[in-house]
Amino acid sequence: MSILVANGLTHWYGSDSALEGVDLVMDSGEHLAVLGENGAGKTTLLRILATAARPTSGQLEILGLDAFRERARLRRRIGFVTHSPGLYPALTATENLEFFCDLYGVSRSRASEALETVGLRQVAQRRAARLSRGMQQRLAIARAILHDPRLLVLDEPDASLGSDAGDLLAGIMTGRTVILATHDHALASRLCPRSLVLRHGRSAGTPTRLHVVK
Amino acid sequence: MNPVRVALAVARKDLRSEWRTRELVPALAQFIVLALIIANFGFQIDPHNAPSIAPGILWLALVFAGLVAFGRAFAAEREQATLEAILMTPASPVALFAGKALASAALLILCEAVMLPALALFFGAMLSGAVVAAVLLATIGMAALGCLFAAMVARIRARELMLPLLTLPLWIPFIVAGGQAVQSAMGLGGGYDEAIGLLIDLDILFVVLTSLAARFVLDE
Repeated sequence: MSILVANGLTHWYGSDSALEGVDLVMDSGEHLAVLGENGAGKTTLLRILATAARPTSGQLEILGLDAFRERARLRRRIGFVTHSPGLYPALTATENLEFFCDLYGVSRSRASEALETVGLRQVAQRRAARLSRGMQQRLAIARAILHDPRLLVLDEPDASLGSDAGDLLAGIMTGRTVILATHDHALASRLCPRSLVLRHGRSAGTPTRLHVVK
Repeated sequence: MNPVRVALAVARKDLRSEWRTRELVPALAQFIVLALIIANFGFQIDPHNAPSIAPGILWLALVFAGLVAFGRAFAAEREQATLEAILMTPASPVALFAGKALASAALLILCEAVMLPALALFFGAMLSGAVVAAVLLATIGMAALGCLFAAMVARIRARELMLPLLTLPLWIPFIVAGGQAVQSAMGLGGGYDEAIGLLIDLDILFVVLTSLAARFVLDE
C-alpha cells in the first residue's frame, strides 16, 4: 500500500528554482535515502514531504490524505528532524520533550521512553544548552518519535551524531516509513534499500517510480 | 488535543525559560525605571503638576516596554529554530498563540508591578485598585495585538522596525481608554466607568479578532 504519493513537486524561491517536477511513490515501511550535492533541493523536498512547506505546484498525498489540506491531521503521523535541533536551551532534556508531549497530546511518560531510545537517559536533567551538539541532535530525534509517527522525515540527522549514528537511526527507523537525506552514501546504503538522487532540483531519472534508483 | 493544555504548556515553558535566563524582565524593569527617571528630569515637574503628568508617562513607558516584551515572544522561537518545531505539531495555532500571549502578558504585568510603585515614588501618583484594574485591562488587549504582530513579523528581516509600525496604531484605542481610566482613577477628571467599559469592549474585540487571525499568521 502506498503511504506517500508525490506528483510533479516544484518549488521556486523567488526566481530561483529549487525543485522541478519531482515524483515519488513510497510504500508503507519503506526506507528511502535522498542524495545529492549541496543545493540539490534535498531540504526543500524534505520540508515539503514533512508538510513544513507548500510547493509552488504539484500534488502530495500522505496516508491517503491531501498533505496540504489535511496538514493538522497528518502531523500526528509525521516526525520531522531538521539540520538544526531547535531546542529550548534553558529547559532540560526531559522538559523539552515533556513540552512537546503536551503539544502532541501524548502522555508525558513518552518523554523518558524517547530519551531511553536515543541513549540520553543519563543527561535527562541537563539543560539543552549544556548538551553537546551530538546530544542535542539525539534530543531532536527523540522529539520526532515522541508521538510514534508512521512517517519519519530525517534531514541530515547524522551530521553530528558520531560513530554509532547508523545503529541509532536503524533503531528508530524500524517499523516506520522513512525518508532520510544524507551526504553519507555508506550510511544511506546501509539503512535504505532505495535512493532518490537529486541534481539541481530534479530527480536524476525518469519522472516515474523507476527514477527511484535501486 | 486540549487547546487549554497546549496554551498553558506554551505559557509555562516561556515563563520557565525566562525565570532561568532572566533575559527580559530585569532589562524591562530597568528600562521602565530609567524612563521614569528621564521623565522626572525632562519635564518641569513640581508637586502640583507631577500627578497630572504621571498617566502620560505611565502609558509611554508601558507601550515601549510592551513592544520589547512582545517582540521577543516569537523572535526567541525563531532564533532557537523552535518556531518550526512547534508549528510542526498538531497543536492548534490559536492555542500556541494564546500561550505566547499569556506568557508575554504575564511578563508585562511583572513590569507593571515595578512601574506603578515607581510612578508613585517619582511623581506622587495616587495608586489604587482602580488604576491597577485599568492597566491590567489594557494589558490584555495590548498583549493579544502585540503577540499577533510579533508572530507576523517573526520571519522577516526588518521585524524590529515593522513591529512598532504595525502595533502602535492599533494600541492607540487602549492608550486613549486606559489613559482616561487612569486619569480618572487618579482624581484628574474624566469618566472611569465609561473608559473601563470601553477597555473591556476593546479586549473582547481584539482577543477574538487576533485569535481568528492567528490561525492564518501561524499556519505557514
